[in-house]
Amino acid sequence: MKKPVLALSIIILIIIALSVTRVVFSNGMSTSGVALDQIQTEISVYKIQNTILKEKLLSMTSLDYIASKASVLGFVESKTNISLNRSIPLAIKQ
Amino acid sequence: MIWRYRVILVILILAFLAVLSRLFYWQVVKAENLSQLGQLQYERSIGNLAERGEIKTSDNFPVATNKISYLVFANPKQIKNKTDTSLVLSSQLSVDKASISAALSKDKYWVSLKSGLKIEEKEKLEGLKIPGVGFEETYTRFYPEASMAAHLLGFVGKDDLGKDKGYFGLEGYYDRLLRGKEGTAVEVYDALGLPVLQEASNSPEKVKGNSLVLNINRAIQFITDEKLKKGIERYSATGGVVAVMEPATGNILALSSFPSFSPSEYGEFGASLYKNPSISNLYEPGSTLKPLIMSAALDANLVTPQTKCNICDKPVSIGGYEIRTWNNEYFKDINMVDVIRHSDNTGMVFVGQKMGIDRMINSLNKFGIGEGTGIDLQGETSQSLPPKNKWYAVDLATRAFGQGISVTPIELLVAFSSIASGGLRMEPHVVGAIQTADGKTIKISPKVLGRTISENTSKVMTEMLVNAVNKGEASFARLKGYRIAGKTGTASIPIAGHYDPNKTVASFIGYAPADNPKFVMLVIFDKPTSSIYGAETAAPVFFDIARQILLYYGISPSEE
Repeated sequence: MKKPVLALSIIILIIIALSVTRVVFSNGMSTSGVALDQIQTEISVYKIQNTILKEKLLSMTSLDYIASKASVLGFVESKTNISLNRSIPLAIKQ
Repeated sequence: MIWRYRVILVILILAFLAVLSRLFYWQVVKAENLSQLGQLQYERSIGNLAERGEIKTSDNFPVATNKISYLVFANPKQIKNKTDTSLVLSSQLSVDKASISAALSKDKYWVSLKSGLKIEEKEKLEGLKIPGVGFEETYTRFYPEASMAAHLLGFVGKDDLGKDKGYFGLEGYYDRLLRGKEGTAVEVYDALGLPVLQEASNSPEKVKGNSLVLNINRAIQFITDEKLKKGIERYSATGGVVAVMEPATGNILALSSFPSFSPSEYGEFGASLYKNPSISNLYEPGSTLKPLIMSAALDANLVTPQTKCNICDKPVSIGGYEIRTWNNEYFKDINMVDVIRHSDNTGMVFVGQKMGIDRMINSLNKFGIGEGTGIDLQGETSQSLPPKNKWYAVDLATRAFGQGISVTPIELLVAFSSIASGGLRMEPHVVGAIQTADGKTIKISPKVLGRTISENTSKVMTEMLVNAVNKGEASFARLKGYRIAGKTGTASIPIAGHYDPNKTVASFIGYAPADNPKFVMLVIFDKPTSSIYGAETAAPVFFDIARQILLYYGISPSEE
């Protein structure tokens, strides 16, 4: 009976190739946890910065703040209404 | 030899069965527990707090939003030097040392130390690297306009389980819509505690709360808040209310009331301040009720503007009571236009007697007096009208000029605005639209509650009210050039069975421009002391606010 040398060689080669591939991929992914941790920390920092900026923006665009700033800058409330009306005709042609 | 084989075979079979039964125990009986135990080693649940919906004014500016804050917790079992740690935490968190010490002495793995910590405070404490102390990210309500419209907004407190819950105002009324649905996310970690590259599985049921877009106009609300505060100081009143509504739609444009509270520090204020006086306080409206009674009598053709009062030349005696005018001046054969102009109580007694009890009750019901308005705020009250058999002749007389009957400011505003809107009583609405978490907008349409008077009667009544503004007691304060319809009110306060002559509720109600009203407004001062009359307190504030609103809307004067 002839030994299936070729078939066995192919199988062994495939096993070796797959093992090497797995090692390469595992090696590549082994540091991805660290990278993910860094990304998540970065996201958290941006999230916090966004919140602080949103808070500042809303506070500075509030009427309460604008009115107090306007008062400091010397703006006062207008006590008179000025409106432009049509002049009254002297005579109306019937 | 055979028996030896058999013994070994039995031993092997028993051993095999023992292994099999143990496997069955771990794989079937204890499978769930082991699975959970395993998950704990490589998975961590991250609390995914659902953000509470925002409350925005009509210009889409959030008057109630969220900001990130932190809850500080500790694991007492990891803290070795509890005395020193308590001292440091106490000074950093501004919490007394005894409370921190007590928390750290507990035989627990997790104790809460303080919530609502700001980002800067958290970073400062984190920098100290105290072992056994951790932080949990939470959301706290943030009010960019500080305490503006506090009664309207309500506040967010905690329920029995320590979860956020809205109380009073919009936070209370729309709590279910505003609160989101909390969820959890799972992250997978390796043996070193580093996250493994895979998407955190978000719990699908986590939903952000819906946001509310109000009909409240931020500029008008700001104006009313400022003017009311100044008015209360100027007239030394104990409190006040300003309510502004769009008569054609029932949209509430502003709702101010003082004394008030700060929604972000509600715990520092007395619980009595949480109630919104605009919807919860009952008061006798006095002369501001007269236009409702007069318009009902006009609508029923019981009187016309030219009808002369034949009992107005002297005080009117009914059931042993003597009814006088507010200034003790009497006008013989005064007509209905001047009854409103002079706010003549005897003239209103004449109108009340013409109406009779049945028609009076029916008219008040049409105006929604005693029924509540259905406004979308938590805490609305109302006082039902007494049954017909409890009405005496003197009640008919006094209720015709607004004494002996109680209403809430919003009830009166809604009833009065029906005169401005051609006789249609609209349901008041603070919220104009709901923005769902998935970006959809659901608009709330105006709702007609019923017709109070005919369109023609509303026009006649408007002219009588414009005349009252131009020639009545408050004419000194009116806005020249604008046609404004309005009525003053000075109601005595009932105390222990009688009316206190020195304590009043001073008010003014009106709308502008009279021919095409953009707003109807009610101004109330509670127990003003510099003057007790509505014409001298509430009316000037009304016209001051009205001037600002007309300017804001860009409405120019219609008369020279």
